Amino acid sequence: MQSANVLLKKIVRSSVLPFAAQHGMKKDLFLLSRTLSLSLCLKQDNSCNPSEKLDLDAWKKVMKSGLQEEVSEMVSERKELSTVSAAREILEMWRLAGRPVPETLSEEQLKTFMECPSKSAKKKYLKYLHLKELYKKNDKRKTDEKRERRLEMQEQASKPDETKRNSFMCLWASTMDRAYSWRVAQSMIFGQPLVFDMSYEKDMSAREVANAVKQIVLGEGFNRRSVDPFHIHFCNFKDDSLYNKEFIKHYKEAWGRLLITVTDQCYTEVFPKDKLIYLTADSPKVMKTFDHDKIYIVGSMVDKSIKTGVSLARAKRLGLETAALPLEKYLLWNSGAKNLTLDQMMCILLTLKDTGDWKKALEFVPKRKYYGFVNKPVHELKKTLNLINMLKLGKRQEEVQKQFAKNYSKKLMQK
Amino acid sequence: VQPPDKPLQAEEWNRLRESFRSPEIFEEVMFNSMVRCNSPIDVAKSLLTHVAKNNGDVAYNLLVKYLALCVQQGQTSEIRDVYDIMKTRFRILESGAYSLLIRGLSNSDQWRMALPLLEEVKKIMIPSRTNYESCIKAACRHQEMNLACELYHEMLAKDLVPTLDVLQAFFDFSRGTKAAELQKELFGILLYLRENQIYPHRTFMWSIKLWFESIPGGNWRGHLTNIKDSGQCPVCNHQLESSDLTEEEYNNLRERIIKDVIHGTDTFRKTSPQEFEAFQTFVENRLPFDIVIDGLNVSHIKPRKMQCENLFNAVNCLAKENARLLVLGRKHMLINSSNWKREIMKEMQNKADFFFAENISEDDAFLLYATLRSGKHCKFVTRDFLRDHKACLSDSLTRHLFRKWQRGHQIAFSPSSKKILLTVFIQQPAFCYDCVVQTTGDTWHIPYKDTFEEKYSYQVPRKWLCIQQKR
Repeated sequence: MQSANVLLKKIVRSSVLPFAAQHGMKKDLFLLSRTLSLSLCLKQDNSCNPSEKLDLDAWKKVMKSGLQEEVSEMVSERKELSTVSAAREILEMWRLAGRPVPETLSEEQLKTFMECPSKSAKKKYLKYLHLKELYKKNDKRKTDEKRERRLEMQEQASKPDETKRNSFMCLWASTMDRAYSWRVAQSMIFGQPLVFDMSYEKDMSAREVANAVKQIVLGEGFNRRSVDPFHIHFCNFKDDSLYNKEFIKHYKEAWGRLLITVTDQCYTEVFPKDKLIYLTADSPKVMKTFDHDKIYIVGSMVDKSIKTGVSLARAKRLGLETAALPLEKYLLWNSGAKNLTLDQMMCILLTLKDTGDWKKALEFVPKRKYYGFVNKPVHELKKTLNLINMLKLGKRQEEVQKQFAKNYSKKLMQK
Repeated sequence: VQPPDKPLQAEEWNRLRESFRSPEIFEEVMFNSMVRCNSPIDVAKSLLTHVAKNNGDVAYNLLVKYLALCVQQGQTSEIRDVYDIMKTRFRILESGAYSLLIRGLSNSDQWRMALPLLEEVKKIMIPSRTNYESCIKAACRHQEMNLACELYHEMLAKDLVPTLDVLQAFFDFSRGTKAAELQKELFGILLYLRENQIYPHRTFMWSIKLWFESIPGGNWRGHLTNIKDSGQCPVCNHQLESSDLTEEEYNNLRERIIKDVIHGTDTFRKTSPQEFEAFQTFVENRLPFDIVIDGLNVSHIKPRKMQCENLFNAVNCLAKENARLLVLGRKHMLINSSNWKREIMKEMQNKADFFFAENISEDDAFLLYATLRSGKHCKFVTRDFLRDHKACLSDSLTRHLFRKWQRGHQIAFSPSSKKILLTVFIQQPAFCYDCVVQTTGDTWHIPYKDTFEEKYSYQVPRKWLCIQQKR
């Protein structure tokens, strides 16, 4: 049987038959051989063992029998293994072993993978790609489901259309866009400037730059939709920078039409020095009120590898005033770094500008980072804190409680 | 899931699978728990057979898990079978399977088969240090010391850090050796420990001792001992190496501190160029100091007391011996407040030199600079471990130098009930000797860790192995 099989394969391989047929037939033949060999195995089992006993090594025969022919093919291919295809093969094996590895990798991603300096960096990068792929797949599945549902709905509701009468044309999106643009354009003439310092590229990895740009794009969106937008300035912006590349990736052709000021000058050249305030979490000074005459500077930096004092150093060098948000004063801090994302900063500043209300503004600080606001009555705070400690620490709650009470009374005394 | 304790028939597996809540991953979960419970391999085989008959194939991850089970139980023939199957089925394997195969085979009498596998791993990636460990240990166990040494050097060349187990294996299996080459190799390992400031643990120390004593005609004798505070070994009366840095090391360290710690990527992060310059001229005009004090750190020793009072006590305590003191602080200390009384500050300034940095500058960097600039005799006072400054140094060699210098020059106050006692850093007497593996040719002194005592990076072992050659 096997020899016949090999013969058939040879015929197939000599490509007498057209390509499509080749593929179809190959599969069929394999299936055939596999089932045949399998049944052979089974028969043997029955013949030599009493029906009760198991042949424990039967799986080895199965594994070896179905694959003998493929191997000879592989050996001949083995010689021409470039590094790229070798890397792909390793990835495939990792995937088979059940590691978090993406199913498909573009050439560019494969290159970044091979350039990773260490094993752990490689693992990390693959995991990141794997998760990204999963999210993408899920999103696609969801949109597909949605579309199907919509189609169904349409079919059900496909009665003769009665045109709805309305005094407005249905042009919401573009009308809103125009209204927003008017507002931002106005802010470019009369609005309060807000500066993003784009000089941190060399302090960041490529991923961090990408994240920073993503955050700024989000922040710009919030600004555009607000009642009284800032006039956004990107200062120290170089045209050949990674920032620029990433912005173009996000905005595409809208990048040229964006209602913001982009300049390669430093903010000290654009604005008078005594009006500038650099916002940084490392600042020893705490912001008390939002000043409408000042120009606030936010450093466009995502800092995953805790580099303290980078933006403070920049402000010091230029002799600028600095300030930090009064997070400690208003929030009972839980955990996490005090530096916030750029879109959160934008939301906080916008709210402060509109209302001057710290409580409202600091709602934008992620909830996981704090227990609650300080201006609640003390006993209420204690209650929630007790609960948290009970859940978190179990037995040690009493000590923590005492310590907290002490700290808190100290805090009150200082005020 | 609890794996069954004897092989099951196909229908029984089917039934089990049906009852499991997510049948797609049933086999995987089952294999995992088999590895965890160390089930007999027959059970695993019966499941594999069931899978093979159903699908006509066994997935790679199941094979690897089965392999793990075989390695765990030392089933050499099974390991070989699985390897044969994998080789025919897949062009290359991934690191997990290779590691299992190498470990499984090197522990068996077919340990030589692990070597070509190691070669195969090298083709696709850098083998892990445990891969090398398995092979080297196997070679040692079978007295192939040349091969073991070869692999060991290859591993070092790849920047892998050998485990202590590997190093110990060399000593364990070379007892009674006469070969000069091998002896040189083992002395090389001891020097490796010295250069990287690695301390062997108790059992490793015994291996070293036994090896020395087994050298034919060597007349080596080893004793466990504690070194005196003076740095003298009570057994052989030999004086240990001094903890002072050499002139070159000292200059090197000073330059690196200025470059990496004070300036770093941006001078403004810790100070400012103007301030640093001002500080430099300040120090140059008053050189040399005997003791440099971190004022703010010292002022927090006793939380109940006023901060300037703490500092005052410390300065008085140190000033008695006619030493030249420098106190580093920040400008806010000069403002009269509940913690900082102007009169007391005035009085202190008569007894010591003071430098006040900006409130947002880091005074620790100044502390290091002033101490290093004053010379080798100068000590500094702080309770800070200075770990963040050590971390700023860019290479491990300089970091080792920094640690060594710190051990010999840092003084820490610890508060006692009545008065401030002057004790030197962390329960250790002033180290005038250096705590590393050291030799004079006919003596070896090797510090070792007791397995039970916990060791932090700033602590050094107190126990020593003294080995001397009797002629």
